[in-house]
Amino acid sequence: MRLRLKTRRWGSRLAALAPWIAALGLAAPRPLAAEDRILLRGNYYREASTRILAPEVVVTKDLPDERFNVGVGYLLDAVSSASIAAGAAAVTGGDRVFTEMRHGTTVSANSKLGDNYLSAYFRYSTESDYRSRRLGASYARDVLQRSGTISANYSYSFDSVYWIRANIRDLRDWTSTGDTNLLQVHYLNLGYSHALHPTVLAGVNVEGIVARGPQDNPYRKVLNGLDESHPLLRLRLAPSLFVRWAIPKARLVVEPRYRYYADDWGIQAHAIDTRVHIRATRNLLFRLRYRYYSQSGAFFWSEDGVFEPDAPYRTADPKVSRFLSHTPGAQVAFRMDPIAERVEALHFLRGAWIQATYNHIFQTNRFGNARLGSLSLSLPF
Amino acid sequence: MSPPRQAMPRAAIAAAILAALACTQAACVTVRPSERQVLSQPEMDPARDAPEEEWHSHVESAREGAFGGHGAAGGGCGCG
Repeated sequence: MRLRLKTRRWGSRLAALAPWIAALGLAAPRPLAAEDRILLRGNYYREASTRILAPEVVVTKDLPDERFNVGVGYLLDAVSSASIAAGAAAVTGGDRVFTEMRHGTTVSANSKLGDNYLSAYFRYSTESDYRSRRLGASYARDVLQRSGTISANYSYSFDSVYWIRANIRDLRDWTSTGDTNLLQVHYLNLGYSHALHPTVLAGVNVEGIVARGPQDNPYRKVLNGLDESHPLLRLRLAPSLFVRWAIPKARLVVEPRYRYYADDWGIQAHAIDTRVHIRATRNLLFRLRYRYYSQSGAFFWSEDGVFEPDAPYRTADPKVSRFLSHTPGAQVAFRMDPIAERVEALHFLRGAWIQATYNHIFQTNRFGNARLGSLSLSLPF
Repeated sequence: MSPPRQAMPRAAIAAAILAALACTQAACVTVRPSERQVLSQPEMDPARDAPEEEWHSHVESAREGAFGGHGAAGGGCGCG
């Protein structure tokens, strides 16, 4: 664990904060911090017609020291009881039992040179009818005597979309109303965070996406049996801001976030996500969460699900419908140093942490309520 | 015939500009290095939750119209 506590020039302010610092100590996990680590995660999602189990492993190693760090990760998405046309209305055939596996691999390299942080990655994932490739790079720099950090993150995805007709061997390119099955996505994120006060950190981000290519589901039909047809171009913009406010005497960090989203499909969304981090003991951290999310429907969404045959766009996708959701959640994280110190055979757990998260999603769309969770173990080596 | 498209709402663009202006105001404040002990704690580190955020973002991009905040939506979930 590499805490960046300054050990020199501790003034009276630090003396007042000493109990807080002692309580926080080394307790919290620092996932993907620049050190040799293996992270094992089990991700879980469950709703009425879909269950996803997604085990994941990420290994990061400094080569030769913390100035340069490489990582490799693997994720398996095992989707069961999901239809190939997930979200389809029952009257059009509904959700049939369908099992799908997606394999995803990521390699990354990160470097810290003075106040500059550079990283790059490549991610490849494949499933029976979808192949995704993404190249990404990011840059961050500490500014104003390290009171602020500017960051820029860009990625380019070029995905191939296929359509399984009668069986898995009968695989065709899915081009929707266009002439290619290539979906290209440019993503840009510009951010700035700043320490406003010794206990307050705030930040803003602006994210933009340009997506061009087939973006509808080849298997899903609208209520009167016509194929789905989405626009081939989508422009998306999302400014957001966050604050992290520490209350040392209460051992709390309060973290409100707000995110506004709009795109040229007519969807506007608001997400308010508030978290409270509670330091119970030196090695035990709780986090409570509540997220409110609401969105308007796309301009081609129809509440009754019926479209004219000559309608340029048609959709049966619940995620472009008007809906709202409430998500309460909780997380507990435990740093395993006490166990490592007491049991000689478990010394290898020094610096390890375990984390469990559960969220319950109450939503008003056709997907229905859902459960979202994960269990993580991080081990240094 | 090219169907009508929705213009990007001015509110989104205005919010982005406002966010940029907020940055310039925030830059007036400087916290001295000796005052940053609390800021250096893990709970104050936005990057601490990155793996969990990425999983949530993956799910949200497959279930919500707005993307999740950690990159563009890809395949997965059999949800198109």
